[in-house]
Amino acid sequence: MTSPLQRLARRDFLKTSALALSAGALGLPTLIPQRAFGANARLTLGHIGVGGMGGFHLDRMIAFMERDTTNVAAVCDVDENRLANALKKSGPQARAYRDYRYVLERKDIDAVFIATPDHWHAVQMVHAAQSGKHVYVEKPACCTIEEGRAMVKAANDHKCVVQIGSQGRSERECYAANRYIANGNLGQVRKVTCWHYESPADNNPVPDREPPPELDWDLWLGPLPWRPYNPRYCPGSFRWMMESGGGQIRDRGAHVMSNALWIMNADHTGPVSVEATGTLPTKGAWDVALKMDVVYEFKNPDWTLVWSQPGQMIPYFDRERQKALGIRESYGAVYHGDKDKLILWVGDSQAFTETKALEWKPGPGAKEVYKSPHWDHHEDWFTAIKNGTKPISNVEAGVAIAFLTVLGNLSLLLRRKLNWDPVKQEIVGDEEARRMMSRPQRYPYVL
Amino acid sequence: MKNETTNQDQAMITNEMKTATVMVSAAVIAGVTQAAVGTPSVDELIAAIKSKDDKVRGPAWQSAGACGAPVVQPLAAVMTDPDFEIARSARRAMWVIVRHAGRPGAEAERKAVQAALLPLLKDQPVPVRREVLWMLSEIADADAITPMAGLLTDAELREDARCALTRVPHPQATQALDTAFKTAPEDFKSALAESLRARGVTVAGYPSQKLKPTKETSLRATSPAAKPGP
Repeated sequence: MTSPLQRLARRDFLKTSALALSAGALGLPTLIPQRAFGANARLTLGHIGVGGMGGFHLDRMIAFMERDTTNVAAVCDVDENRLANALKKSGPQARAYRDYRYVLERKDIDAVFIATPDHWHAVQMVHAAQSGKHVYVEKPACCTIEEGRAMVKAANDHKCVVQIGSQGRSERECYAANRYIANGNLGQVRKVTCWHYESPADNNPVPDREPPPELDWDLWLGPLPWRPYNPRYCPGSFRWMMESGGGQIRDRGAHVMSNALWIMNADHTGPVSVEATGTLPTKGAWDVALKMDVVYEFKNPDWTLVWSQPGQMIPYFDRERQKALGIRESYGAVYHGDKDKLILWVGDSQAFTETKALEWKPGPGAKEVYKSPHWDHHEDWFTAIKNGTKPISNVEAGVAIAFLTVLGNLSLLLRRKLNWDPVKQEIVGDEEARRMMSRPQRYPYVL
Repeated sequence: MKNETTNQDQAMITNEMKTATVMVSAAVIAGVTQAAVGTPSVDELIAAIKSKDDKVRGPAWQSAGACGAPVVQPLAAVMTDPDFEIARSARRAMWVIVRHAGRPGAEAERKAVQAALLPLLKDQPVPVRREVLWMLSEIADADAITPMAGLLTDAELREDARCALTRVPHPQATQALDTAFKTAPEDFKSALAESLRARGVTVAGYPSQKLKPTKETSLRATSPAAKPGP
C-alpha cells in the first residue's frame, strides 16, 4: 500500500507552504490567493466522531471546503441523530457511516479526524494509519501505555502524519511564553505547578437500562469490556469515567501538561516517578478523582511537575485584557525559575500569559521556538502533511503527554507511588501496575 | 422498682450499642487510619457497604483494602444487591481489596485474595464473574489460569476470559489460550488467534477481522444528489 505521503505528492496537495483562509466566525486565518493552489489541491477528509469537538473540527473543515482546500467526503458516528446532523451540514458530496472502518476502506480519503471518546483514540488511530490515512486525533492520545506505544509504531511504520489535538501549543500566547522561558528569562525552571478545578460528581445516579434506539452501544463501547448501557456513561459524561475519559487530568491535563512538556523541552522523555493522592466520589457512576494532586519527578535535567485539582487558582493579572479576549476562567500553570516565574493560563483553544512575555523582544542570537502557521493547529497539520514533517503536537509528544495522565490515574487507583523508566517507557518494580499498562481490547476492536 | 432498674439498664445497653455503631461509622467516615482504630470486621464492612447513606458507604468501600480476603466472598454476594448503588459500592470495595493485595511485598495477601476470588468464577451471576475475571487479570498467578480458562467456553464470558488471560504474563496462559483455540467454535477462533499472536504464537489462518466493517447506518441522505453510506 502506498503511504499517504506518496499519494498526496502525486495529488499536488498544498503546493504553497501556507494554507490560509479568510477570517470569519470560525477564526480562520487570513486569505491567500486561490491561484496559489494547484489542481486537485484538496485534502479529502473523513470525520470519525461528529459530536462535541468532532462537530467543531467538521465545521472548520466545511469552512476550508469553501476555499476548495478540503473535501469533507465522509462523516461517521455511532449516534444516528448526530450523524444525521453532520450529514446535513456537510453537503451532498459527503457520505454517512456508522462504522468507521467503512471510512478507512475508502481509497479517496487522505486523512481522518478522530474525535470519539478517549477509549477509541488509539485503536482508531492505529487502524487509520494501517489503512494509509493521516490522522488528527483528539487528546488525550491514549488510555494505556500499550496503546501509546502502538500509536507511535503505527505512525512511523506507515509514515502517517499525526497531530494530537493539544492545540494550546499552536496558540500565540503559548508560543510567547515558550520563547520567553527558552531564552532564560526565568533562569533555570525547576518546578511547574498546574491547577485545575475539580472533576464533577455524579449526583444523579440511575440504573442500567436499554440504550436509546439511535445509539449503537456495542460500537460506542468498542474496545472496552462489555457492560450494560447507562445514560451516565455518555455522550459527554464519558469524561468522568476512569476507563474512558479519565477525568480532568486526562482532559485538560492533556492541554496544560502538553504545554509544560513542550516548554520544558521534555517531549522525548518522561518522569522517573509519579505519585498521586486524591478524593474519589462516594456514589454514582462517575469514578474519577474529584480532587487530586500528582507529583511527577523528572531527571536530567531535574525538575518537578505538579498537577492539582483544585490547587492554587491564580486570578488573571490583567482582567481587562482577559475579558476583552473572552478568555475563560481558569486553569493553568506556573513556571517557577530561580530568577522569576511566569504564568500561562488556560492553554487549550485559548492561551493567556503575562505581559512581560508578550512584550519581550528577542535580541541578537535569541533562541527561536516553533510556531504553528498562522497560530492554527489544523493548518500546522496540513503543512506537516505537505512537507512530510512532524507537526507541533506529533504522536510522540501526544503519547508522552497522555502517559503522564495515565500514570497519574494509575498511581491514584493503586494508592502508591510508581517508578517509571522513561527510556523503556515502562513501570518498574510493581507487577500489578505493569499489567495495567495494557488493557486487552474487546474483539474485533483491537489494536 | 426492680422492673424500672431493668428498663433503665436495657435503655443504657441500647444506647451503648447505638453509640458503638456511631463510633464505628464515624471512624469509617472520618477516614481514620485502620492502624489507629483497627480494620473493620467483615460484618462491620458489609453493614457499612449496605448502608443507604452514601456518606457511610463511600468511605467504607474506599477504605476496604486492608480487610482483605475474608471479605471478598461476602462482598460478592452484595454485588448483586437490588439497590444498584449498594451493588456498585460492593464491587468497588472488591477492587480496592484486589489492588491493595497486589502491591509490591504483599505476596501472601495477593495469594489469599486470589484464592478467595477463584471460587467466584463458578455459580455466580455473569456480572460478578466478569468482574472477577478482570480482577484476576491484575493479580493472577499460574494457579488461577485453569479456572479462568474454564470460562473460555462460556458464551457470555469467553471474551472477558480471553482478555483477562491475555493480560497474565505466564506461559500457562498462552497454553490455555492455545488449547482453547483448538476446540473453539469458528466465531471465537479469530479472537483467540489475536491473543495468541499478541503473545508471539504463529497461528495459521484466521486473519484479523479488526479492519472489516460490519455495521451499516440506517441513515439515508435527503438530498437526491447526496450519496448515502453502505
